[in-house]
Amino acid sequence: METLNLLAVGFSVALTPLNIALLLLGCFSGTLIGALPGLGPVNGVAILIPLTFAFGFDATSSLILLSAVYFGCMYGGRISSILLNIPGDEPAVMTTLDGFPMSQQGRAADALAISGVASFVGATIAVIGLSMFAPLLARAAIYFGPADYFALYIMAFATIGGVAGVDPRKTLLSALIGLMIATVGIDPISGIPRFTDGNYHLYDGIEPIVALVGLFAISEILMMLGSRAGEATRAVRIDSWLPDFRSILATRWAMLRGSLIGFVAGVLPGAGASLGSVMSYSMEKQASDKHGTFGKGDPRGVAAPEAGNNAASGGALIPMLSLGVPGSGTTAVMLAMLISLNVQPGPLLFERQPELVWGLVASLYMANIALLVLNLPMIGLFTRLMAVPTWALMPIVAAVSFVGVFSISNSTFDLQVMIAFGILGYLLRKFDISLVPLVLGLLLGGDMERNLRRAMSISDGDWSILIASPISVTLYVLTAGFLALSVWLALRDHRREKERALLD
Amino acid sequence: MRLIPLASTSLGLIAGAFISVSASTATAAECIAPSNPGGGWDFTCRTIGRILTELDLVEGNVQITNMPGGVGAVTYAMVASERADDPELIVATSTVGITQIAQGRYPAPLDAMRYLAMLGADVGVIAVDNDSEIQSLEDLNEIMVNDPGSITTAGSSSAGGWDHLRLLMVAREAGLENLGDLRWVQFDGGTDAVTQMMGGQIDVVSTDIGEIAGFIESGDIRILAALSDEPIPAFPDIPTAKSQGIDVTGYNWRGLYTGGEVSDEEYQEWVSDLETLYNSDQWQQAAVDFGLVPIWRGGDEFEAYVREQRDIMEELSRDIGVIE
Amino acid sequence: MSIRLAGAAIFMVAAVYTWFGSGYSAPFGDVLGPSVFTLIVGIPTMLLSASLVAFPSGQTDWPDKSGWLRQGAALAILFGYAATLKGLGFPIATFFLIALLGITLGGKPVKSLILGAVMSLFLWALFDQVLGLPLAFLGAYFGGR
Repeated sequence: METLNLLAVGFSVALTPLNIALLLLGCFSGTLIGALPGLGPVNGVAILIPLTFAFGFDATSSLILLSAVYFGCMYGGRISSILLNIPGDEPAVMTTLDGFPMSQQGRAADALAISGVASFVGATIAVIGLSMFAPLLARAAIYFGPADYFALYIMAFATIGGVAGVDPRKTLLSALIGLMIATVGIDPISGIPRFTDGNYHLYDGIEPIVALVGLFAISEILMMLGSRAGEATRAVRIDSWLPDFRSILATRWAMLRGSLIGFVAGVLPGAGASLGSVMSYSMEKQASDKHGTFGKGDPRGVAAPEAGNNAASGGALIPMLSLGVPGSGTTAVMLAMLISLNVQPGPLLFERQPELVWGLVASLYMANIALLVLNLPMIGLFTRLMAVPTWALMPIVAAVSFVGVFSISNSTFDLQVMIAFGILGYLLRKFDISLVPLVLGLLLGGDMERNLRRAMSISDGDWSILIASPISVTLYVLTAGFLALSVWLALRDHRREKERALLD
Repeated sequence: MRLIPLASTSLGLIAGAFISVSASTATAAECIAPSNPGGGWDFTCRTIGRILTELDLVEGNVQITNMPGGVGAVTYAMVASERADDPELIVATSTVGITQIAQGRYPAPLDAMRYLAMLGADVGVIAVDNDSEIQSLEDLNEIMVNDPGSITTAGSSSAGGWDHLRLLMVAREAGLENLGDLRWVQFDGGTDAVTQMMGGQIDVVSTDIGEIAGFIESGDIRILAALSDEPIPAFPDIPTAKSQGIDVTGYNWRGLYTGGEVSDEEYQEWVSDLETLYNSDQWQQAAVDFGLVPIWRGGDEFEAYVREQRDIMEELSRDIGVIE
Repeated sequence: MSIRLAGAAIFMVAAVYTWFGSGYSAPFGDVLGPSVFTLIVGIPTMLLSASLVAFPSGQTDWPDKSGWLRQGAALAILFGYAATLKGLGFPIATFFLIALLGITLGGKPVKSLILGAVMSLFLWALFDQVLGLPLAFLGAYFGGR
């Protein structure tokens, strides 16, 4: 009951005309920024910070604006994933797997609607979790040590094996190439540069968003140019401008499962939204891909990762607020902003500034509703993007990707890296090597290595620390069970097909 | 094609609305934060930029540019080669940047820049979990000297970085000879290290106090020593290492540099502007809010201080074995 | 055949990677050291890519000659943009990028030029003026920065 009272206080703080205006502004600009390839939630939040200073908003209003942008970006990232096969930001990578095939089948409106509703469900579940259990969950998260994180990443990589592609060797190879790229740059543990050839621009490693935009956007342009002239204009049939609500309802369980998995991934500091969307997609595929439709435009393959990444970004606010540990790049920026507004996130925030915390929680509920209301009518507008001819659309996508990357890093070197990744992405796609595992390797590789080495430093070189905690053992058992189940299901399908072949 | 004019009109309207309110006029001064948004250097630029404008020390707004790469090395190389004589440019730096220079990790020497001023400092502390058996710095020193392998230490810098060096300075002062025996675990931030300590993974954390102040107030962790000359104003009860017989200080100051070919006149103008800023209520408030102790050193005094720091770091890094 | 070549190329990269990776060492303070993870990644990559050489799977169809030419032109435009962006300034460089890519993708030249002109100015306004991410209007060739 106390929580409800606090929440009521929160709504009374959040429901001022100024805050509602900020909320709408944040949701709208967040969706826009998230939809632009090359700009993600980190940039969205960073871009609006000066605005909050310029107007001298108080801490609550600033936080409402920035959270709305944050959630808006998570909503927006999926739009270009679905329509163009180019993820708007890192967590939206998984959405390309089924979202883009859906839009190619003329079901873009359905895919956008499902992802919008899934984002709403995921984020709302996360916010409910945040308002009910934040301090409790934060306390639990601290018992997750380096060895446990390493086990979690092993689990993530084991589960993506079945996600994409036909030949599992190629999927694994793709992930390994991503891990290789993740080791480029100054090694934060020893401070020495690796694989940089003395180039200072490589010292911070390869920025994932740069690689991501190159791999997907530039390679898409090359693919189009490579096909014969007549096919270069992609004729997409659009069956309907309006989504079919029955198909949304059909994905309700995928949304719920995805939300729960994503939320748990988000609460763990450092794991974040990308891990949330990966795990929820691969779990969903395992649980419900009975007819091999995943990867070919299954609505549940859109619902699960979108619910997962939005739940994770909501969950990531828990360690950020109650421990002061940022779970992702975006929450790191929000943390810095809070501190400069004289709010010290940490164990005492909930006691000392309850009106701020609960105002934020209330505004998150409102932001979610606002985003759903804003997004559903915009589906028609977005699907019309598909009617723009390729010769006009793709140069604009390239220019937006370039300017997004350049305006943040001010480095033309990054643009060259992006083009190089475009060539790599093109070649890998030609060889039927899925790009998604590569991106995951790149996103998660750095943390995976660091946590392995931290664990080994703690144990002074004793490898048994990796299986010394009950958490890591549980995770390994789950991973093994998951793999065994995959193999069993694959064998069963194989046998059934054989039997069917014999009967025919 | 119908869509594009439509979309651009609507975007144009929003654009217009934005421009009229945000009034982003042409900017003269620029502050480069050699890191991603968030974190110390970014804070330095954004806060100083804001206050410079509020005090009318610059025309219009200060443009903030993030140029991450190589713990500041990318920016250092760019300023040295392209904008050494640009009087409108200032760049954020700190003890961490000087440590990188001392260890030969920047592409140009210290002399390539002119150092303007430091405006405040974060204080290094040594912390243990509140349930830890280590009650005092004396206890810790005894363990570090007699049985260094029995504890795990951690902080937010790489091995050989500033958090680690500060702790090793204490250990050396206490009498530990083979400094490599003390295990060090790097985390991505001070709070990451502290929460891992609360979870029982590690024993001792050495980092800046600003980021972890909340955990001190909540009683989750205990500070054994502050590496400052005087007790920290916000936490007067925390004893300094000096008061416990260990003569070590470890500040992480925040300051600015400009290009090496900026004229004396323009250099002095920056120094005096920054001094005005330092004395303003806005800065004093912002510094304390961010967990900094306001400390002023400017102009030639600061140049001399930076050189001295570089020499100390270099010697220490060599003694310890971080560099050859 | 293409798959075998790709496998061989990945194998070479992984071998060079592993070779360099095994050489990294930290002076002190780091138990596992900076080289072990690179071996954990590099060696399986070598094994897997070798298996692709031995047992290739799938097939690739490459573009015809005109396809290669268009791709080459697009890459030249993209790299040219990266090389001249700071010199020309954002709107002019972006005008060329959009217009030329549009033509390469089969758009009518006049339409592509108009699109380039409109979009380059619009993007400059959006990023520099609205989002507050500074982009030079005129580049170094014209006395800008």
